[in-house]
Amino acid sequence: MAEISFPLPDLGEGLIEATVLEWLVSPGEQVERNQPLVEVETTKSAVELPSPQAGKVVRIYGGPGDKINVGEPLIVFEVPDNTAGIVGTVPKEEAPKRRVRLSAVLDED
Amino acid sequence: MSNSILEGVDAAGDDTAEKTAENTASPASTTVMSMQQALNRALDEVLADNPKAVIFGEDCGRLGGVFRITDGLQAKHGVQRVFDTPLAESGILGMSVGLAMAGFHPIPEVQFDGFAYPAINQIVCQIARMNYRSRGTMPMPITLRVPSFGGIRAPEHHGESLEALFAHVPGLKVVSPSNPHEAYHLLKYAATRPDPVIFMEPKSRYWQKGEVDAARHDTGGGSPTGAKVMREGRHLTLVAWGAMVSRCLQVAELAAEDGIDIEVLDLRWLKPIDAEALAASVRKTRRAVVVHEAPLTSGLGAEVAQLITQSCFDTLKAPVERVTGFDVPYPSGDLEDEYIPNIDRILFGIQRVLEYKRG
Repeated sequence: MAEISFPLPDLGEGLIEATVLEWLVSPGEQVERNQPLVEVETTKSAVELPSPQAGKVVRIYGGPGDKINVGEPLIVFEVPDNTAGIVGTVPKEEAPKRRVRLSAVLDED
Repeated sequence: MSNSILEGVDAAGDDTAEKTAENTASPASTTVMSMQQALNRALDEVLADNPKAVIFGEDCGRLGGVFRITDGLQAKHGVQRVFDTPLAESGILGMSVGLAMAGFHPIPEVQFDGFAYPAINQIVCQIARMNYRSRGTMPMPITLRVPSFGGIRAPEHHGESLEALFAHVPGLKVVSPSNPHEAYHLLKYAATRPDPVIFMEPKSRYWQKGEVDAARHDTGGGSPTGAKVMREGRHLTLVAWGAMVSRCLQVAELAAEDGIDIEVLDLRWLKPIDAEALAASVRKTRRAVVVHEAPLTSGLGAEVAQLITQSCFDTLKAPVERVTGFDVPYPSGDLEDEYIPNIDRILFGIQRVLEYKRG
């Protein structure tokens, strides 16, 4: 298994820090890509940060009220070695779903 | 290990009498692995077999590629055989031309399909025609690996299907594997060709596992350049390649619930196309739907439909249907679910063929 660190991204307009309001995930939890991770507040607004990837949460940095600088670690994920750091998302294997049904009179001529 | 292709050919000749046993039990040479692992193993063996083979591209060396396809190969075979290049695809492919002229077998990678565009001049004007231009004195044994097609929620230039573009260029061969077994054998085969081969890897299938029988160079209709029937059926042929093959196999299972027996043909080679395999399948089923991720207009589906019409015009029960992407730039993010042919769109295509009435 490999650990991947996700630093606090630039949340726009050149802001250099954000305050943690509430963590929406906790260590040990398996998260999916785009799942909301944490609510943070900047001098402009409060925003939810979506997860950049799927993985198991190993560590989170800062509790409610703590300031984190842009570029400093926010969360660390654990992912299988062979997919650590790859570009894009590993598609989930899902049972096929259908809405269309086929109907035909098959003449065997 | 070094002679596995030859051993595979020998074995296939020897055990034709044991075909029944083969179908019921996996032979000892079978391993379950992902397509990423199968490609990695194939490249490892190609490097071991051919001292002239060299692998290079953006992040191919130290990192092992952004999909880990070349993982560990630099550590094992050395920095002279597996190395990183600057971020310049025209340079990667231009260097391939020079290396091929000097007697090497380059196996370059462009990191994503959409990054082949900056190298089109080198591919079309040099690699594809140097052998022709030099009257056979400068063959271009180049195996260009291109992680291709969509399905991984990536940004622009990371989900394109360029098979029709490459297939249109005289001098290039184009192939795409659909599962780990195909990936292992087709890459090993491609990397021994004297001609340039565009090897399109379906990146959305890199992590799905499947059985790989390394000893058995399973070549479908008997030719390593042929198409392969992945599922036999009586009522309709689904023609697909790359990542769409597994989706078509799912569709075939669902169609069986409705009493429709579907054959799935994995085209494998997109240039040249196995016209005989298309004809053999559709003469039996009398109906065909071709499925691809690339846009509809001038896509390879048109070529497939024409080849089927040419050989099966008298027996076809309906015009060949195409289920494809749309004539728009490949969309990023979740929108790709609407773009890539899904199960319902393929079933609709099948239904259109089934209910077609002549006159």
